[in-house]
Amino acid sequence: MLDEAIKLLNQGQNPDGGWGAVPGKQSNTESTALGLLALRSLADSSENPAVRKAEHWLSSSQRSDGSWPYGAGATAASWSTALALIALSDSGVEGERLVRAGNWILAQEGSKPGILAKLILALSFQKKAVHLNDDLIGWSWTPSSFSWVEPTSYCLIALKKIKSRLSAKAVKERVDQAELMIYDRMCEGGGWNYGNTAVYGDPLWPYPDITALALIALQNHKERTENQVSLRVLSKTAAITDSGLALGWSSICLALYGHDNSELRKRLEEKFVKTKFLGETKAIALSILAAGDRSRLFRV
Amino acid sequence: MNRRGFLKTSAIASLYPLLGACNEELRWQKSAYIKQKSSRVAVLAAASYGNGLREIIIRGIKLFGLEISGKRIVIKPNLVEFDPKGVINTHPAVVEAAIDSFKTLGAKEVLVAEGPGHRRDNEYLLTASGLYDVVKDHRVTYVDLNTDNVRLRDLKSSFTNLKQLYLPETLFNADLLVSMPKLKTHHWAGVTVSMKNMFGVVPGAIYGWPKNALHWAGIVGSIVDINSSLPIPRFAIVDGIVGMEGDGPLQGQQKNSGVLVLGDDLVAVDATAARLMTIEPQQVKYLNLSGEFLGNLERNKIEQIGEDPERYQQDFKVIERFSYLKKIIS
Repeated sequence: MLDEAIKLLNQGQNPDGGWGAVPGKQSNTESTALGLLALRSLADSSENPAVRKAEHWLSSSQRSDGSWPYGAGATAASWSTALALIALSDSGVEGERLVRAGNWILAQEGSKPGILAKLILALSFQKKAVHLNDDLIGWSWTPSSFSWVEPTSYCLIALKKIKSRLSAKAVKERVDQAELMIYDRMCEGGGWNYGNTAVYGDPLWPYPDITALALIALQNHKERTENQVSLRVLSKTAAITDSGLALGWSSICLALYGHDNSELRKRLEEKFVKTKFLGETKAIALSILAAGDRSRLFRV
Repeated sequence: MNRRGFLKTSAIASLYPLLGACNEELRWQKSAYIKQKSSRVAVLAAASYGNGLREIIIRGIKLFGLEISGKRIVIKPNLVEFDPKGVINTHPAVVEAAIDSFKTLGAKEVLVAEGPGHRRDNEYLLTASGLYDVVKDHRVTYVDLNTDNVRLRDLKSSFTNLKQLYLPETLFNADLLVSMPKLKTHHWAGVTVSMKNMFGVVPGAIYGWPKNALHWAGIVGSIVDINSSLPIPRFAIVDGIVGMEGDGPLQGQQKNSGVLVLGDDLVAVDATAARLMTIEPQQVKYLNLSGEFLGNLERNKIEQIGEDPERYQQDFKVIERFSYLKKIIS
């Protein structure tokens, strides 16, 4: 599978050096960051022109404020900045770019409901819809919206990877609170979905891809009970979720935690044969990163 | 009303679309006004997801005289999440029947497109729900609207402060967008039918999951602003064979109505769907606002050209905060 996945990834690279979500789509930061990480994880990647082209696409699409737009036609600063930073953090790109991106991330905060909204809710007789600690701030998908698990996980990984280049105090403050936010959003029994545990008392269930991402972001707390419980949930949910995205992130996560991921990788190969992951760049790249010891690129 | 009164009312009514341009109170542009004097909706009996759905849908489409030949059709089901024990999504059999129907009626191309709102694992949702086999067997393209190329679109109404939204390129290149929701109650919007289903066209890669930027902007206003600003004509086919009551759109309970609801006025379709759930459309805030300029929701403005909806009416439970939706006015 690996050779075919690499071939597909190479074939899907756009002439501008980036990747779209699927072949034929305009390049976007998320797909390009993961595509670059996958190719860079291979032997002799420094000689690979596709790697240099992808690095160039990412470098040239960075905005002056340090952020990246999502791309594919969208030009506003976006959550995908963290993924670009992860992808470039171990590359030869100028450190100044990384610092600008890191500082942009540090300056972004998920919003929380205003005092008036909280007061109305507190005074209402209605059953509270969700039970989240909205004072805990992580990162949102778009400016001026709520903190969610996936963008917060990417930002945590990115900041932890380049923390030596940034203000230690600023990084610690944001990381500490964002980690608390992620733990607060853990589903009953462990694991994570996009970031909501229940609505009107009805519990919501964890997703393997997001559980894996959260655990990768929290990898320096491996011994915490929440991590251990969620690892077990990851194994259970990944066992019943057949997709490149779920199996890819789950395999990478288990490898980072020193667990056997051979069964998941076997299923990843079977799924690839069956669907080619619908041609999704992200899943193809993750399947490459899940093989061998390539998960090290997400080590912080 | 006498003849003079009727003429006076008609004259004022004919100027109504123009008022948007000169009255600061109105929150839509003149070009957003698409409400007709009356609308037609077809409630068609469909007892199960077995054979015969294709014929029912073809009959329904023909009732509206839709010109399908040579057109590029985008089918937008509701595929938001998957729960093996639940009834969250538009049933793949209905989507399959719609694909087949539009092809039979001469469509140049039929696409299935969705931007799941909760879960971004597209491959999992497609395969687990059974929709993957449908698109594969019928050789139609599936577009993940969450990650499609996008264009920035000025919104034609301002019930939120969004002003602009990125929308998927696939919509701009199509001739007809067919909203194919599940008939459900909804814990934030009251009901979710063909208009709320359009949240799925807003790209998650830009706005995130669960399309939270729209929640912050206001769910009701977002439904109206999105529907007022879509670039192509719409049609609706609602899967009301098995619906959901209570804490929808994910955690409610199954409720069978045994119908499909079709129409080209999405406000009228959703109003009829609400009545099928014994919910008062005028109490549903997004319908009330949309009824000003996007379509008809009053019972006497909607001609029922299929079955008598009252025969299929069911008492769908709603969560406590929406108990007022059950106060029937019209």
